[in-house]
Amino acid sequence: MHSRPRLTTWLYLSPLHLLLLAILTAPSVYVFWLSLNESSYGTGLTFVGLDNYRMVFSDPYFWRAAVNTFFVVNGVVYVELVVALALATQFAAGVPLRGAMFACILMPYAISEVVAVLVWKMMMDPSVGAIARTIEGMGFGMLNWSASPTIGLTLVGVINVWTHLPFTFLMLYAGLLAIDPSLYEAAQIDGATRWQRFTRITLPLLVPTILIALIFRLIFAFRMFSEVWLLTKGGPARLSEVLAVYLYQHGFRYGDFGIASATGWLMVLGSLLLASVFLFAMQRSMRGA
Amino acid sequence: MRSRLSLPARLARGLFLAVMLAWSVGPILFIVMSSFKRQVDIFVYPPKLVFTPTIDNYLKLTTQWKGFFDAMGNSLIVALGATVLAGVVSFLGGYAYSRYRSRLTSWTAVYMIAVRVLPPIVVTLPLFPVVDRLGLGDTHILLVLLYATFWVSLNTMIMKNFFDQIPYELDEAAYVDGASEWQLVHRILARLTLQGMAAGSIFVFVFAWNEYLFAMIFTTNRAKTAPLILSELMGAVDGTEWGVLFAGVTLQLVPVVLLVTLARRYLIAGLAAGAVKG
Repeated sequence: MHSRPRLTTWLYLSPLHLLLLAILTAPSVYVFWLSLNESSYGTGLTFVGLDNYRMVFSDPYFWRAAVNTFFVVNGVVYVELVVALALATQFAAGVPLRGAMFACILMPYAISEVVAVLVWKMMMDPSVGAIARTIEGMGFGMLNWSASPTIGLTLVGVINVWTHLPFTFLMLYAGLLAIDPSLYEAAQIDGATRWQRFTRITLPLLVPTILIALIFRLIFAFRMFSEVWLLTKGGPARLSEVLAVYLYQHGFRYGDFGIASATGWLMVLGSLLLASVFLFAMQRSMRGA
Repeated sequence: MRSRLSLPARLARGLFLAVMLAWSVGPILFIVMSSFKRQVDIFVYPPKLVFTPTIDNYLKLTTQWKGFFDAMGNSLIVALGATVLAGVVSFLGGYAYSRYRSRLTSWTAVYMIAVRVLPPIVVTLPLFPVVDRLGLGDTHILLVLLYATFWVSLNTMIMKNFFDQIPYELDEAAYVDGASEWQLVHRILARLTLQGMAAGSIFVFVFAWNEYLFAMIFTTNRAKTAPLILSELMGAVDGTEWGVLFAGVTLQLVPVVLLVTLARRYLIAGLAAGAVKG
């Protein structure tokens, strides 16, 4: 049962839309204007047209950051999705000490990125870190993540998965709980194996949830900043920058808000592109046939 | 879904769960244990699981880094403020989206989700000069506004789904009894959607308590939050202060870890309502 909106309806919606307008929409429109100007920390604007975009596209550091972002985002998201799915199916099937196990798996969700970086940095420190020394002791050599951008970004990915796995796990688990148990009972009576039940019932019914989790995580990983900034500061020699770090360097280090805004607007387009799939589906369901 | 597993399958499963357990809890345990260790014990390899605990690090924290406790206070103010603001805003929005529908409302709902995907760092650029001119730089209120805004979209969807579960007949009955819409909303429906509000509140609180980027860009002194102070200490400590840093980190993480683990029921309910059905 839905009524046509009245004047009071918009009153109920106004705090929500005022916040969004003031903090998100108006600023992101203004970012587009900033990206067409040269400015110092957003003041003293001089119109330069598309010059900032031209400069960004011809900057090898931008492309380096874009490629790094691509690899980190994809690496992180798919690994995390598979592990979260395995974990969620185990929990749905029943694990020993379920409540305590669940609480433990969730814990990293409560940890600040700052703390996550700190603790992984300590454990992976080439000279004193317990994990780094174990890896070295096993004969894999020294993991010097501050000297190698590849190892550095891998560690960034590990930290990112560590903090976000609980959220993805929770989403998939919530999706699993929504599957009608009688389907499994029927399948069992028909003699379906465990694997058949997973591939024929769980997976197909979980596809919408998996897609949402995937898009959520793609968007969140795409904006990754803190892990990289706190771990490597984008170094060595700006080789481990991701797009958000590239933006931050130009905006807040060099005060060049033109370049930063152009990067920002490109990130907006990227995020919207990722999200458009989800938004399209949502719009259809909200209009609710 | 339960059925007998073969022995190797059960072993593999046990191993997987054990690894996941160590992966999730290990780093947190490392922090908490280190905060009770003497300086010489922290980096002993292999790490000592049994040691003589000391509270020296905590004592040093209170005497040497008083700024840390101010920052914890700031974090608490900002996190509570954002939670309350986002709670009220998404409660009202969720009600409106649940009970009213038109082409325009459905488009504004899509817009609401669409703006949520904007990377936070992008809005820091245009806000930076504006914030200074408005005198909002380095204030609690600015962080409250920023943190609440980044959660109102999802929380409104969560609330909408909780409102959807309340039959419309209840509204009609209330109207027949002569209640106004506002009375219906804040007296009756508010009580019935508490679970949704709890779920949404946890998301906002955890985010605001832990956030780093906005705090770094928009606070310099008075409104500095705990994660920011910790990140500065992390860069500044020399070899002898690690224990003190771990003590600070432990104090920062224990309240939210408790919140998340104790309220996990609400987290599932919230995600089921906001993301899975949304």
